[in-house]
Amino acid sequence: MMRLIGVIFGKELRDHLRDRRSLMSALMFPLLGPATVVLTLGMLASWQSHDRPLEIAVVGRANAPSLVAFLERAGAQLTDAPADYEAQVRADTLEVVLVIPPDYPRDFRSGRPASVQLVEDGSNNRAQSSVARARRLLQGYARQIGALRLVARGVSPELASAVQVDDVDLATKQQQAAALLNMIPVFLLMAAFLGGMHVAIDSMAGERERGSLEPLMVNPVPPLAVVLGKWLATVVAAAVAVVLMIFGMQLAVAHVPLEELGLRVSFGGHEIGLLLAALLPLALFTAALQLLVATFARSFKEAQTYVTLVMFVPVLPGIFLSLSPLDPRPWMNWVPTLGQQLLMTAAIRGDAASVLGYLAAAAGTLVATAICVAVTARLLVQEKIVFGR
Amino acid sequence: MIEASKLHRQFGEVVAVDEVSFLARDGEITGLLGPNGAGKTTTLRMIYTLVQPDRGEVRVDGQVVADDPIAARRRLGVLPDARGLYPRLTAREHVRYFGQLHGLFGAELEKRVDELLELLDMHGIADRRTQGFSQGERVKVALARALVHKPANVLLDEPTNGLDVLATRATRELIRRLRANGHCVIFSSHVMQEVAALCDRIVIIAAGRVRAEGTVDELRALTGEQDLEEAFVRVISPPAEVQR
Repeated sequence: MMRLIGVIFGKELRDHLRDRRSLMSALMFPLLGPATVVLTLGMLASWQSHDRPLEIAVVGRANAPSLVAFLERAGAQLTDAPADYEAQVRADTLEVVLVIPPDYPRDFRSGRPASVQLVEDGSNNRAQSSVARARRLLQGYARQIGALRLVARGVSPELASAVQVDDVDLATKQQQAAALLNMIPVFLLMAAFLGGMHVAIDSMAGERERGSLEPLMVNPVPPLAVVLGKWLATVVAAAVAVVLMIFGMQLAVAHVPLEELGLRVSFGGHEIGLLLAALLPLALFTAALQLLVATFARSFKEAQTYVTLVMFVPVLPGIFLSLSPLDPRPWMNWVPTLGQQLLMTAAIRGDAASVLGYLAAAAGTLVATAICVAVTARLLVQEKIVFGR
Repeated sequence: MIEASKLHRQFGEVVAVDEVSFLARDGEITGLLGPNGAGKTTTLRMIYTLVQPDRGEVRVDGQVVADDPIAARRRLGVLPDARGLYPRLTAREHVRYFGQLHGLFGAELEKRVDELLELLDMHGIADRRTQGFSQGERVKVALARALVHKPANVLLDEPTNGLDVLATRATRELIRRLRANGHCVIFSSHVMQEVAALCDRIVIIAAGRVRAEGTVDELRALTGEQDLEEAFVRVISPPAEVQR
C-alpha cells in the first residue's frame, strides 16, 4: 500500500513539475502577495511623508507682514519665490506659490477684499495636498481677520457663520496600515488554497476529462492509495506556496518603512515558525477538500468553477475577521481555516501563542482532511465517476 | 480463462446486459461482436470489475472476480474504451507507471518495458511526450501499459477503432501473437469482417443478449447464410431471434 501510494505520488509530482499552470499556481501567487503588501504599504508611507512642513514660495512678502506672520505661526515654511516661479510650477519643481500683489496693503487697510493669488499646477497630483493646505491656511486667516473686524464694529462673528462643518476623520494612516497588516493572514490562507489548486483539479477532474481514470482504476490498486498519492502531491504544491508566501511576506514587511507609519511589527524567526505551525496542517486540509470537490467535476473547467467557489467559503470569514475582529472563542480554533486565521492574526500582532490553540486547530483540520480523503476514495469506485465523462 | 455466467445489468429502466453467458478459453481469441450500444462495453467492464453486475458472476481463471476484485485485476490486461493518456508523460513513463502499479520495479520492470516497446515497435516514440500522438500511437501506448504485467487474460475494447490500415494490421498481429503465447484474449468489435478474420470463437450480442455463439463456420451453418454479413444481420435483427 505504501509503495503504491509512493508510485502514484511520484507520477503526479513528475507530471505537474512539467506543467506550467501547476507551477504558476504554486509559485506565482506567493510572489504576488508580498508585492501587494510592499506596494500598498509603501504608498501609505509615501502619503504619510506628505505631512512634512508645508513649503510656500512667496512673491511680495513685504506687502503683507501680518499674513506672513500668521502663516509662519501655522508652521508653514516660507521662502522667497524665484523670478521664474511660473515656469518652475509648471515643471513641478515648485508645488505652490503665493503672490501678494502691491495693492494688497491698500485694499486690506480700506476693508475691501484684498486679493492674493495661489499659483499651482492643477495637473500635478503630488502638489494637491500642499495646495489644499495652503488654501485652508489662507481661508483661516481671512476668517480670523473678518471676525476681528466684526468684533471691532460690535457684531458677533458667529452671526457670519450660519453653519459650521467639522471634519472628524477617525482613520489615521497608522490604522490603515495596521488593517493592511491584518490582510497578511488572508494572503497566507489564500496561498494554502491556491497553491495546490491546479494539481488537485488536474489529477482528478483532468483525469476524468482525459479518460485516463478508467485505465488507472483497472490496475490492482485500492482507491484509497490512489487518493492518498494524489493528495500528497497536492499537499506538496500547497505547502510550497505557503512556505514561499510566508518568507515573501517576511521580506516584504522587512522592506516597507513601517517606522514611518508609526508601526512596530516583529516578523522574525519566531513568527515564521508560528505561521508554519498554523498553515502546514491547513495545507493538508485544503488539498483534501479540493481533491474531493474536483472529483465531482467531469471537466477541468467545471472543476475550476467549483474549486474557486469552495475557496471563497472558508476565506470569507477570514476577510470579515480581518476587517472587524471578533472575540476569539475556543471552539473557533477547531474550525479549519477560521482557527488558522485566528492563530495567524495573534502571531502577527505579537500575542502569546497558545499551544492548545495550535493543537486544536491541527486536530480540527486533520479530522476534516480524513473525512475528505475517505469520501473521495469512496467516490472513485462509483461507476458514474469512473465512467461519467 | 474467462467465464461469464448469466450477467445482468440494468441502468435505470434500460437493461444493458441481459443474461449474458460465454466462455473464453486460453489460447483462443474470443470476439464479442455486436452493433453499437449492444452491451459489449458494459459486459467487459463487469469482467474487469469496475461495473458491478446486478445478477450473475464472472470467473477469471476459476476465481469469482467479485470475491477479490484486486486479485482478479492482476490476472487481467485491459484496453478499456477510454484510452486516456497523460499528455506530459512520455510513452515509456506510461508503461513504467502501470508496471509499478502492478508491483514491478527496478531492472525487472525496465526489461519488461523495453520488451513491450520493442514488441509494439515504439522505439521512435518511446521517449516523446504523448501530447500530439496520433490515434495509432495512442493505442500502442495504451496496449503496452495494459500488457506490462504479462496478464494471462487480455480484454480489448474495440482496439482497432479509429486506426488506419497499418496500425490496424499491427494490432491484429499483436493479438495473434498473444494467442500464440497461450493468452486468453477477448476482443470486442462492431466490425464483422475484423472479428471473422481474427477470432476463433464469436459471441454475437445485440440489445444486451447473446444472439448466437460459435466459430465462423458454425455461425454460417446456424443461419444458413453463406455470406457472413448476411448471417450477422439476420442474427442481430430482432424479429429473427435465433437461439443456439
